[in-house]
Order: sequence, then structure tokens, then C-alpha cells
Amino acid sequence: MLKNPAHPKKGNLKEKECKFSRAGVVYIDYKDVDTLERFINDQGKILPRRVTGTSAKYQRQLALAVKRARHLGLLPFVAENLR
Amino acid sequence: MKTNFYEVTFIINPVLEEDQVKEVKEGFESFIKERGAEIDEVDEWGIKRLAYEIDGKNSGYYVNAYFHAPGAIVSDLERYFKLQENILRNIVLKYDNKMLKHRELQKKGKLPVIFSETPEVE
Repeated sequence: MLKNPAHPKKGNLKEKECKFSRAGVVYIDYKDVDTLERFINDQGKILPRRVTGTSAKYQRQLALAVKRARHLGLLPFVAENLR
Repeated sequence: MKTNFYEVTFIINPVLEEDQVKEVKEGFESFIKERGAEIDEVDEWGIKRLAYEIDGKNSGYYVNAYFHAPGAIVSDLERYFKLQENILRNIVLKYDNKMLKHRELQKKGKLPVIFSETPEVE
């Protein structure tokens, strides 16, 4: 992504840290809604890794947890912005 | 008899009165006990708002259960949930060792804090 010099993000290359590995999380629980909510945008979509800086292993667990929470109505599939 | 650790969460129709809700919950507990389940913990979150409408309802009575049981229970349990018209949604999870470790931490109340207002000092 940054090999191409014309890329807008060429300047700021702040290394984002994975919040889950920093906290030493073993398993991301789908019931833990207030943590999951920080990883979805206001439309209810899961935020990509390049935005949150989460490592791949936890991003997979996070996606699985969000999908389970959506199944149980804890998280919206599509959130209208007036959430 | 090899038993696994399962977690089940289901949503009961909120329109029912208190005793009917209890009846549904007890029905579930006796159903799994008959099939050799050993209930570890059953906690109820009570009536919570749903994020979206599930067959016309905007809230539901959540029940969350953890138990040890032989593997054969899963297919019967899922069929049981389908037959129950008062249970709107359900999920059955088998815990692998990572989740079991999480369960131990949860019981001891030492879950890692991911977002703490105070700066983390790890």
C-alpha cells in the first residue's frame, strides 16, 4: 500500500497497536457488546483492520463474535444512523 | 461418557407473563438434564431491547446457560428449540479450550480489560 509514493497516506505511518493483544485477550465473547460496539461503525458494519489496527487473529475472532451477536439481536445488521 | 462444555443462549418471547417464562426456562433445563447434562450456570439477562425486529417483537427475555453434556445432545437440543414457538432465537456453542480458559477467567472475574478509561499500565 505504501510502496506507491503517490499514495495519500505516504506521510503519516503511525503504527496502530492491536488492543486485544495488548490486553492479552484469550477469546472475544459475543456477549461482550460494549467492547464489540467499539469495532463497528455507526451503520453497524465491522471496522476494517487498517482502521482499528487489530491483528489478524483477533480480527477473525471479532468478526465471528459480531456475527453471533447480530444473530441474537444484540447488535444490528444495519443500523439506521439515528441509533 | 465423554462430555463437552456447551453454552446456549436463547431469547424468550417477552409477551409471556412471569410464570410462563419460568415454565419455558424450566422446560429447557429439564430437557437437557434428562439427556445427561450437568448444568454449570444459568443466568438470565431479563427483558432486553433487540437491535432489530424479530418476528414482530422489539424486545426479548434472554437466557444464557452453561453446561457439560455428551455430544449427542446438540441435535436434540436444536430440534427442541425449533419446536418451541415461544423461543424466538437460539444459539448453541461448544467450548474449545481457548473459550474454556476465557470461562475460567470469567468465573474468577479477572477478565482482561480492553478499554479502560485509566491508561493501561501493562
